[in-house]
Amino acid sequence: MTRLLGGREATLAAACLVAALVFAAASPVFLTPGNLLTVLRNSTELLLAALGMTLLLAMGAIDVSIGMAMGLAAIVVGQLLMAGIDPALAGIAGPLAGAALGLVAGAVVAFGKIPAIVATLGLLGVYRAGIFLTLGGAWLSGIPTGLTDLVATPVLGVPPAIVLIGLAYLAVFVLLRRTPFGPHLLAVGNSDEKARLSGIAVTRIRLMTFVVAGALAGLAATFYIATYRNVSMTIGATLPLEAIAAAVLGGTSILGGRCTLVGTVLGVILIRLMQNGLLLVGVPSLWQPVVTGAMLLIVLGLEAGAGSEGLRRLVRRPA
Amino acid sequence: MPTPLLEARGLTKRFGALTALSGVDLDVNAGEVLALLGDNGAGKSTFIKVLAGAHAPTEGTLTIGGTPVAFASPQDAANVGIATIFQELALSENLSIAENVFLGREIVRRVAGVPFLRRREMKDVVGRLLDELDAHISDPDAPVGSLSGGQRQAVAICRALYLDARLVIMDEPTAALAVAETRKVLDLTRRLADRGCAVLLISHNIADVFEVSDRMAVFRRGRKVAERRRDATDPEEIVSLITGAHPDVRALDKQQ
Repeated sequence: MTRLLGGREATLAAACLVAALVFAAASPVFLTPGNLLTVLRNSTELLLAALGMTLLLAMGAIDVSIGMAMGLAAIVVGQLLMAGIDPALAGIAGPLAGAALGLVAGAVVAFGKIPAIVATLGLLGVYRAGIFLTLGGAWLSGIPTGLTDLVATPVLGVPPAIVLIGLAYLAVFVLLRRTPFGPHLLAVGNSDEKARLSGIAVTRIRLMTFVVAGALAGLAATFYIATYRNVSMTIGATLPLEAIAAAVLGGTSILGGRCTLVGTVLGVILIRLMQNGLLLVGVPSLWQPVVTGAMLLIVLGLEAGAGSEGLRRLVRRPA
Repeated sequence: MPTPLLEARGLTKRFGALTALSGVDLDVNAGEVLALLGDNGAGKSTFIKVLAGAHAPTEGTLTIGGTPVAFASPQDAANVGIATIFQELALSENLSIAENVFLGREIVRRVAGVPFLRRREMKDVVGRLLDELDAHISDPDAPVGSLSGGQRQAVAICRALYLDARLVIMDEPTAALAVAETRKVLDLTRRLADRGCAVLLISHNIADVFEVSDRMAVFRRGRKVAERRRDATDPEEIVSLITGAHPDVRALDKQQ
């Protein structure tokens, strides 16, 4: 159990619980099944993007363009649906488009030898212009309900959306902990030079990680379209901040080499709980990025300054 | 005498106008520890980098078990059974011992094309290797970052063993170690040779070298100036060979 839930994960789970108790006391709506379901549904896109971000951070990279990549993939899925394409095919186009965009980001980083933060910041600008140009200043709306029905209509009592998200998590877990890709990715995150000396194909690992993260962002786009059936001009604007915050809150190192998927899941839940709870007690939603950003900075500060053993145990990252 | 495992003949390496290695002939036999000695800049590092495939020689030949070889990369050298344990070790501190030993060469079982790690099997192999080396590391799942310098050397040696290396090159393995740890690593070095490996050991520590090696080769200014069996020399002679105070070396220096 200690292996399953390291110090950090336990702390984070406790933080979620405390937040839930405080908001439950402050708002009668918070603990209703309907509201909790809303929190879960709102966590979907962030969870998928954050899992990808976790892999990227562990590999020693980062991708601040994933929000825009999700936006572009959402436009692809939306327009395919509006063109009358079969909803299942349109849904699959999301991860495919995301993977292609991830390949672009990975290629720029791996072949251009550009630091990931700078390379993906450049792509963020390009992708955002792409979204503006494609949408032409208006929302993409009036998307038919085919995909929504497909993922939300229960099969044997379970909505396919839940199964798909479970499978995505499982796929990331298997990739990271049960195939050579995992240790190779973590070795590159620890030191790409040592990884190279050990005979690891560093460039291939970089490309693969960006492609996987891109595919996850693309899958997030599919769920985004299924849920909202529109694409606004500001789609994905806060996604990179939230995904990085969720991963780092969970215990993934921003310096690479270490990550925890359970921690990322808990980080996503905490962020969405906070946002939902603050909204219910009357804090304007404009404050949400402030709260998310503050949580990120506080955790990084605690990690850097974890002087006392007690504090260190609370924030210690799982091995 | 059986054929040496490795024969270097006339090995020369120039970097522009600088001759780092000049016409070195050297044999390394299976089952022996050969120590390379010499001052900084004597050419030891260049020599092992040529053997490890990190540098291509400008002139000269290398044969392994009688077959001429030419290395384009460290991977080529590894493929013919040369494992180099660099001073900085190239281990990933965030990964476990088992993961480090198998990094880049994991044992996998393919299911529908997906390579699944055989974690139990890799753990068992590493456990056996560590036992064999008597390394006193109980848990192959422990992260390498939690190990001492000597234990990390043991992990690097395991990695070489798993490669089925025929020649293991160790670059200053005891440079940063405490006394007890040094002892352990020297034991490991000896054990490697006793298993039939050829070991090429670079060290500045004459006492260590006399304890563990069968033969010694002294380098000076890019040349091999002397070769001695351990039982036919003493530390004083070796030091004089390294510093150039020995009459043989002085004669050589004068020739140049």
